[in-house]
Amino acid sequence: MTKGPENTLARQNSRGADPARRLLSAEKPGEDGFFAAIGFLLPALLVYGAFTLFPIFRTVWLSFTDSGGYNTAASFVGLDNYTALATDPIAWRALWQTVIWLVLHVVLAGGFGLVLALMIGRLRNAQVLFRAGFFLPHLVSLGVVGIIWANIYDPYFGLLNTSLDKLGLGFLQQGWLSDPTLVLFSVNLASSWQGFGLYMLLFLAGLQNIDNSLYDAADVDGATEWQKLWYVTLPGLRDVMTFVMSLALINGLKGFATVFVMTNGGPFYASELITTYIYRLAFQAQQHGKAAVLCIVLSAIAVAITVAFNRWRASGDA
Amino acid sequence: MTYFKSNASAFVAVLVAGTMLASPTIAQTLKMWGPENIANPETAELWNEIKAGFEANNPGVTVEFMPPTGTISNGAVQAAIQSDAGPDVVWTNSGIGRMTVVVDAGLVQPLTEEYKSGWSEKIFPWLDAQLKGNFNGEIYEVPDGLDALGIWYHKDMFAKNGWTFPDTYQGFLDLMQKIEESGMQPLVAAPNNTGSAGHLFGLVLQVTAGSKVMGEVVSGNLPWTDKRVVAGFTAFRNLVERGFIKPEMASLNFDAGTRLFLSERAAMFVGGPWFIALARGADYPLGNLGYTTMPSDLPGESIPTGGIGWSYMIPTSSSQPELAREWIDYLLSDEVMKLRAEHPTSSAIYPRELTDVTPATPVMLDIFKAASDGVGYNPSVYVPGSTIDTYYQVIQGLISGQVTPEDGAAQIEATMHKAQ
Repeated sequence: MTKGPENTLARQNSRGADPARRLLSAEKPGEDGFFAAIGFLLPALLVYGAFTLFPIFRTVWLSFTDSGGYNTAASFVGLDNYTALATDPIAWRALWQTVIWLVLHVVLAGGFGLVLALMIGRLRNAQVLFRAGFFLPHLVSLGVVGIIWANIYDPYFGLLNTSLDKLGLGFLQQGWLSDPTLVLFSVNLASSWQGFGLYMLLFLAGLQNIDNSLYDAADVDGATEWQKLWYVTLPGLRDVMTFVMSLALINGLKGFATVFVMTNGGPFYASELITTYIYRLAFQAQQHGKAAVLCIVLSAIAVAITVAFNRWRASGDA
Repeated sequence: MTYFKSNASAFVAVLVAGTMLASPTIAQTLKMWGPENIANPETAELWNEIKAGFEANNPGVTVEFMPPTGTISNGAVQAAIQSDAGPDVVWTNSGIGRMTVVVDAGLVQPLTEEYKSGWSEKIFPWLDAQLKGNFNGEIYEVPDGLDALGIWYHKDMFAKNGWTFPDTYQGFLDLMQKIEESGMQPLVAAPNNTGSAGHLFGLVLQVTAGSKVMGEVVSGNLPWTDKRVVAGFTAFRNLVERGFIKPEMASLNFDAGTRLFLSERAAMFVGGPWFIALARGADYPLGNLGYTTMPSDLPGESIPTGGIGWSYMIPTSSSQPELAREWIDYLLSDEVMKLRAEHPTSSAIYPRELTDVTPATPVMLDIFKAASDGVGYNPSVYVPGSTIDTYYQVIQGLISGQVTPEDGAAQIEATMHKAQ
């Protein structure tokens, strides 16, 4: 009968007020679930440590070595890898092209997802059909998407150029993957084709959350469709948009498979991204130290984008 | 209790000993990365016969073939070895450039002792000497196929149009002009992935600069910026400017390039004897395949480029290197070499002279003849591993017009210099 709420409160107060007394008390850590908590956390901590923390520390360490991979002895080389990459024109080109790739992915995949969601959002019966159809490409792996689109873009046998020819638009035929000014856009389009379905679904979910009474009110006020879109729909999708944008940015940073399959970074580095250059350095040239530096750069960019984006979003909420 | 434990231990010991006596051989599985076209029924039939012979000689051993997902050039071999679930023997594209990548990374084992114990006698003496000079006397590969890169063409197309191969490079340009005017694509370049455009580019460099100069260049004794070599770069760029190689080819990969030739939309394709296997796989009539060398204005330089095309290696991660050595030793035997050389799928120049062998595909005789006076240097297999990527990218740059011949040569020289 002594364990009432007052008694518990008194114990908590005594802990907060005087840690020394708590240490001296006869109460053992296990009594308040300390060991049980450790037991529950340990498996997750071990997995997190082995598969997240260890690779991170290992990558940082590698960036200061001349590791050639696997069985070679790696010597500490200080900042040599960092300075070498700072003067490497291909690394800078890959970085710049990664930025362009990001923007293209957000605009093409995110934008197309939004447009399609707006187009089918009001449909009643056919929406399921369109939704499933547009989402299907997202189920295809990026490697397969790369092969499909590389064949579509084939200058001699590809669907695109042969269709243009059949339609009498032969003058529009291009070397979609060989023209240095076009290649990044062409590959990004393929990648975005795979990604837009997911963003469309997210936008559709967002559209369903907009209160219909707002549209009714707009109708009463005599708003045009354009005004309803601008003043009701888009503001109503603000939260989804920020989520889609951050998702698209992260997905864009991970862009690799389509470039690797379709162009291998070429022609003459015109579609090289940081990710493909990391692969080239690590697994083709076996320069793991330099590859590790670029991994760190890529991670830093991802963190910077996420932090900046969250701050921007928080400032908007305020 | 003690009595029970000791009896139980004795029982277990007798059981284990009995099991060991009942099965004197230990089951072992040897995994080999390759052969390349194992999905092809004819290839599978040949290699299953070879495997059966080895398994019969080594009871308890099973040989497994791993269909390759790539080469050293695209990192697939390195990734497989480093996965620790990789093969015991790798059979892949080699050459000093690619070998440098895996040797420097400590991914393959030295086989020098095996050469001292007899493998040296199983390959051409010049090949043995070349291997000994690569890594300070250590040898890490067993050559299997030698390359002889020349020009493949459609016999019927050339006959129908009255096209013949001239003796001079200028004549070769005139021939391509005629082909171009007929509406046909003269030459295929496919630089998007490894090899193909490198073969063509290397051949143009050789007929322009000469094999001796190119030998000095790939071994680092002459710079890539030597004016004779830059003239080769310029000759290649000239092929693009005259429309014999189209800029849109900069995006073609090897499969797309092969398709362009085998569909008879292009007149010529540069490749080695291995191209026969691709043509066969595409049901192209092999009797229509012609093979010749690229004409040169330099005396004696109208020869194929080449080098070691394919080799066996033993990864450092192999859990049974001894068995891997026995397997390679078996593959080097007369029995296996003859079986392979006379098989319809054969499309290689083997690493030693084989007597009394009649190739199943007659065009192989043309290749043997073209290579009988020796082969030049295919830079794709001779330049260091860290240079090869720049080499391929520069070829793409020349085709797509992103780099000038002088700049391209300077870029390759810079990476070559760094590698040395």
